[in-house]
Amino acid sequence: MLRLSNLDLAEDGVPHLADISLDFRPGLTTLLGRTGAGKTTLLRAIAGLAHPFGQISFNGQDWAQLPPWHRPVAMVTQQFINYPHLNVLDNLAFPLIRRGEARAAALAAAETMLGRVGLAQMASRRPSELSGGQQQRVALARALVKGAPILLLDEPFVNLDYNLREGMREELMALLQSGGETTVIYASTDPREALRMGDQTVLMSEGRALQSGAPRAVFAAPAALAAARVVNDPPINILSARLDATSLDIDHLGPFPRDALPEDLPPGGYSLALRAEDIRQNGTVSARVALTEVSGSETVTHLQAGAQPLVMLERRVQSHPLGAEIRLALDLRRALIYGADGALIAKGAAHG
Amino acid sequence: MYRQKYIFLLPGLLVLIAVILFPLIFTIRVSFSSWDVYNPGLNDAGGAMYARMWEDARYWQALWRLSLLSVATVLIQYLLGFALALLVWRDIAARRFFRVLFLVPMMTTPVVMSVIWRTIFHESLGPLNPILEGLGIGAQPWLSHPGFAFVAVIIVEVWQWTPFMFLLLLAGLLSLPSEPFLAAKIDGAGPIRTFLSVTFPMMGAISVGAILIRAIEASKIMETVYVLTSGGPGTSTETVSYYIYIRGMRDFQIGYSAALSLTYLIIMAVALTLIAKALMRLMVRGAGA
Repeated sequence: MLRLSNLDLAEDGVPHLADISLDFRPGLTTLLGRTGAGKTTLLRAIAGLAHPFGQISFNGQDWAQLPPWHRPVAMVTQQFINYPHLNVLDNLAFPLIRRGEARAAALAAAETMLGRVGLAQMASRRPSELSGGQQQRVALARALVKGAPILLLDEPFVNLDYNLREGMREELMALLQSGGETTVIYASTDPREALRMGDQTVLMSEGRALQSGAPRAVFAAPAALAAARVVNDPPINILSARLDATSLDIDHLGPFPRDALPEDLPPGGYSLALRAEDIRQNGTVSARVALTEVSGSETVTHLQAGAQPLVMLERRVQSHPLGAEIRLALDLRRALIYGADGALIAKGAAHG
Repeated sequence: MYRQKYIFLLPGLLVLIAVILFPLIFTIRVSFSSWDVYNPGLNDAGGAMYARMWEDARYWQALWRLSLLSVATVLIQYLLGFALALLVWRDIAARRFFRVLFLVPMMTTPVVMSVIWRTIFHESLGPLNPILEGLGIGAQPWLSHPGFAFVAVIIVEVWQWTPFMFLLLLAGLLSLPSEPFLAAKIDGAGPIRTFLSVTFPMMGAISVGAILIRAIEASKIMETVYVLTSGGPGTSTETVSYYIYIRGMRDFQIGYSAALSLTYLIIMAVALTLIAKALMRLMVRGAGA
């Protein structure tokens, strides 16, 4: 088990890692967070490339004094990192030869792995002679052939186009099926990727680990407002609400039926987090279109209701002219309810 | 069609003919004459000058000496230059300091620099021998012993041209991408293995370029020998270009020195081509895991 205890790292007063304590077990864990959340720094710390305060240990062995080249770790980064002076086969054999394996055995293992990632025909080429996707496949194959018990994947497919990214993700999952007891840590900014891939997910923001658990459980109940922001794409809507015994009033949007929130919720101020898919057309809230994004078969519309920004997700490609007025229906019964300290208190009435 | 494009090539072509082709063809013609102080002019001596050259042991010894000198100086310059470049590669403050410091020998005129070094090596008046005596090593016959004189020429050449190698190799190191070094760390390569398997092979092309530039320059070494030792003691530090200078400019054997020069040119062209190919195979294409 890989154990991180109280990791702290700051540069020029900016925290990159803040009191991170996590355990990683064999299987795939996704690190989910926006750019700058500390995911890459955390992976670099595990690999020995960054040096935070705190303790990193693997199967009981303290790694404080262990240089990167002695750590049983393989890593794939966003950039297509290969050895430009070596051909593809030698690239794959490199970590095996460094580990002390005979050159012939290393080349044989490299050739087998090259076949598994579909690059058998490219063995004698230099990385610069390959496409971006092929180069990243070489980097991935080099990490996999090493057979390290810890595999760190830092947004490995982010620089690939959509179709290639989807394909590579499927390939990776297939390759990891035979990974056995490998601890895979996969950093991503895409909540859907985390939901689809991970056995576990860790939400990160501003160098902190906000929440960890099974991806669906984390998605269903983000423990804090910051976690709700991280785990939702399109962005989740945050509404300031005031509840009393008979009424519910939302800043900038006006009064709403009291029964949208649980009956036992005491009066007070709350933040309601409402997912973009829980806002629909044909309601009573007036808003103007600020931006429309069409992504695949979905449409994300950014709206402005007075001073309150809102995001609506609709199926199929929709056409909303800029500045057009839309009447929205907010399904507050599906909202997540956070207290003044940002912690999850309850879910809307529709969650049961 | 588009014939006018050749008009634009004409100035370059004329310069090429005037600067390279004419002197070369003229030298070939002169080498087949016995033009000297007694028989000036382009007579027809057939291959007599080449036959004479074939039996001129002093010429071949000078060529052999030049080869040794070139290999030794370029090798030492490369090793020292690479070591120094590696030392300051990651340290920006040191890099700036050394880059300025190392420009001094390169900016010094070779003749001036050789005069200074001749003074340093002077066996009774120079500062080097008292220093060596102070260290308990004892005074050395720097310029009066064949072996020491040869070493003195190497020292001066290395002193002057190591900075050039340093600057070229440092520029090469600074142009290397950082990602493969990160990958090497992750792939289990420590600092020494990273140097051998990543840094050195990735520096292959720039190393070959730097070595060839210095080898070409070293093969023409003349000023240092002329000022420092005048080819002596005896002929122990005489290089080919210095020997050709003696035959052509001092003895005025124009036909013979033309034959020596032409042969020297061919030998150097062939040798440097072979060296370039060997280095490319060894340091660039041969790089493996």
